[in-house]
Amino acid sequence: MQNNLAAMLQTSVNQTSQPVPADNASIWHHMADALQQSFDRILSLLIAILPGILAFLVSLAVFSLIGFALSALLRRGLTAARLDEHLARGRGNSDWAPSTSPTALIARLSFWACVLLGLIIGVSAFDASYATATALPSLFVPYLTRIAGAAVLLIAGTLVARFLARSVLIGAVNEQLQYARFLSLGIKWLVLVLTAAMVLDHLQLGGHVVELAFGILFGGIVLTLALAVGLGSRDLVSRSLERHAEHSGEHNAAPPVAPITGSGDSIRHF
Amino acid sequence: MATTYPISERAIPSARPGNGLLVLLTAMTPKQLESVLASLTAAFPAEDLLIASPDAISANSYPSLRIVAAPANNPAWTLTAADFVNAYELAEKNEAHAILMLGPESGSLGSPALRELANAVLAITDLAVPCYDLPPRAGLVNSAILYPLTRALFASRVRFPLAVDLGLSLRMAKCLADAARRFTAINQGETPLWPVNEAAVAGFTIEQFDVGTCVQPTGPDLNTILPLVTGPLFSDIKAKAAFWQRFRSLPHADNSIPIPLASSADAVADIAPMLSAFRLAYSNLHEIWSLVLPPNSLLGLKRLSTTGAEAFHMPESLWARIVYDFLLAYRLRTINRGHLLGALIPLYLAWVAGHINITASGTDPERHIEAVAEAFEADKSYIVSRWRWPDRFNP
Repeated sequence: MQNNLAAMLQTSVNQTSQPVPADNASIWHHMADALQQSFDRILSLLIAILPGILAFLVSLAVFSLIGFALSALLRRGLTAARLDEHLARGRGNSDWAPSTSPTALIARLSFWACVLLGLIIGVSAFDASYATATALPSLFVPYLTRIAGAAVLLIAGTLVARFLARSVLIGAVNEQLQYARFLSLGIKWLVLVLTAAMVLDHLQLGGHVVELAFGILFGGIVLTLALAVGLGSRDLVSRSLERHAEHSGEHNAAPPVAPITGSGDSIRHF
Repeated sequence: MATTYPISERAIPSARPGNGLLVLLTAMTPKQLESVLASLTAAFPAEDLLIASPDAISANSYPSLRIVAAPANNPAWTLTAADFVNAYELAEKNEAHAILMLGPESGSLGSPALRELANAVLAITDLAVPCYDLPPRAGLVNSAILYPLTRALFASRVRFPLAVDLGLSLRMAKCLADAARRFTAINQGETPLWPVNEAAVAGFTIEQFDVGTCVQPTGPDLNTILPLVTGPLFSDIKAKAAFWQRFRSLPHADNSIPIPLASSADAVADIAPMLSAFRLAYSNLHEIWSLVLPPNSLLGLKRLSTTGAEAFHMPESLWARIVYDFLLAYRLRTINRGHLLGALIPLYLAWVAGHINITASGTDPERHIEAVAEAFEADKSYIVSRWRWPDRFNP
């Protein structure tokens, strides 16, 4: 064993001590070859998917144009046929907002239907061209659909967050809660965090880290809101309880408290 | 009496009171029912009355009266679409010439008032509307929004367009039932209907009668009632845009109706909660208001938010512009309609605070309400032009 080790050490020492012939031209030649091959591969990959991209763009453009023409045609035809007036007469409503008249809605719907059709056909064309481009990673096209789903989730989540934030803000202001804006912001971020977690989960990014971070953030926001509302609306809760007690006749000695909406006893709104 | 839209072709039914008069009562407590029936029997011969009530009334209690069962309805703070459908169906079934619809507190109206309402619709009037003598600080939603809007857009001086007691001719009842069926067909029978607007569009005669003081039924709180009232009114105005965009002259004011005056006993109400509600809203809802209101109105609100409680008063022209802009935003769905009507509440409270300040300074409240209505009339051209060309630059 010791002999073998000694022999190996001797060999390695001999190897390092030998002078290496420095052939710079050969190294550069090899590197250039390698780069050329990489460039060729990228180029061939691009050439393979370019028809797909082109087909996608052409399909989208053609169908958008068709949609535009169809929409204009429908708008003109339905206006000539006085569809809005006929529908208004049947429904007893003689006025439509310019952006919500049936004619405008049908025209807009037809345009977006064509655009959607163009998108579907474009993606199919791209998919077909991808099948031939075997060099592409196998997960690329399915991932595109996942990105589309995530985008839809993101848009829906943002809209819901905005709607809820406004609802809470207006409701809280009308209840005269001083922290109305804070409450509204809390709700907005609650929904946005939930949306972000759903989007990342849909994209299969982050894995357990996202779940954990979402749990911590969501729990933190809920706890903060609970504390803020609990501490801030003591007066509101006590007023509500007093009113309830007055109604049920069990608490006759309750001190008179001005109603939240600011209406005194002599003021009747309706 | 204020009369609008005299009608030419009209078959005059028998003017004898009680002949074919259907009295439709809303759901009420036994005490209220007793009071109403006492007023009715004092006003009309019992044999000429046909009373329809959703409450179970024992025939032994009122042997002289003809009582039929009316379809049960949910107790509401005002007359709803379902009530008008029921009224017309009952009138048709019982071959009544006219209908008297009475709310839960109609017992406090008195027999002469009931007789006047009934006689009018049995003669030549299509819609008989009561003019209640309310305390100066009651019916403020009506004074701030319903009356000025109805007056400016439908050229009607009816002071209480959403009265709970009404007299209807048969054709008026049919017209209202047709309008109401659009709501009941989609299961929205609880929606309030606007009889004055319907009568104005149909060209029917409207008369208003002073009925004296009346106990008003208790309704929901302001946060509930304002969207409940303004939403259907804005929808109705939207539906009748073709009618009100044309110029119509307002009938002359009838001086026979006494104007309720503020009595010295009326204490100065505390406007501080309303002002704080408005200021809180100004700091929080400014972003939402800026989607609906033009810069001029926002500037007016900014000035108002810094005004002290003693001098607080929302200018009539500013209030008219605000209501018109909210009406326009309701039509265009600039923001969610629930949000829009919710954002109107603090502005309404600011108007109420200003109104109370004015009445506390000794001004006749009715004079202020008339000034508000005149501001709405003066600004009608604004709503008409923005309605037609909403995308045009707004001042």
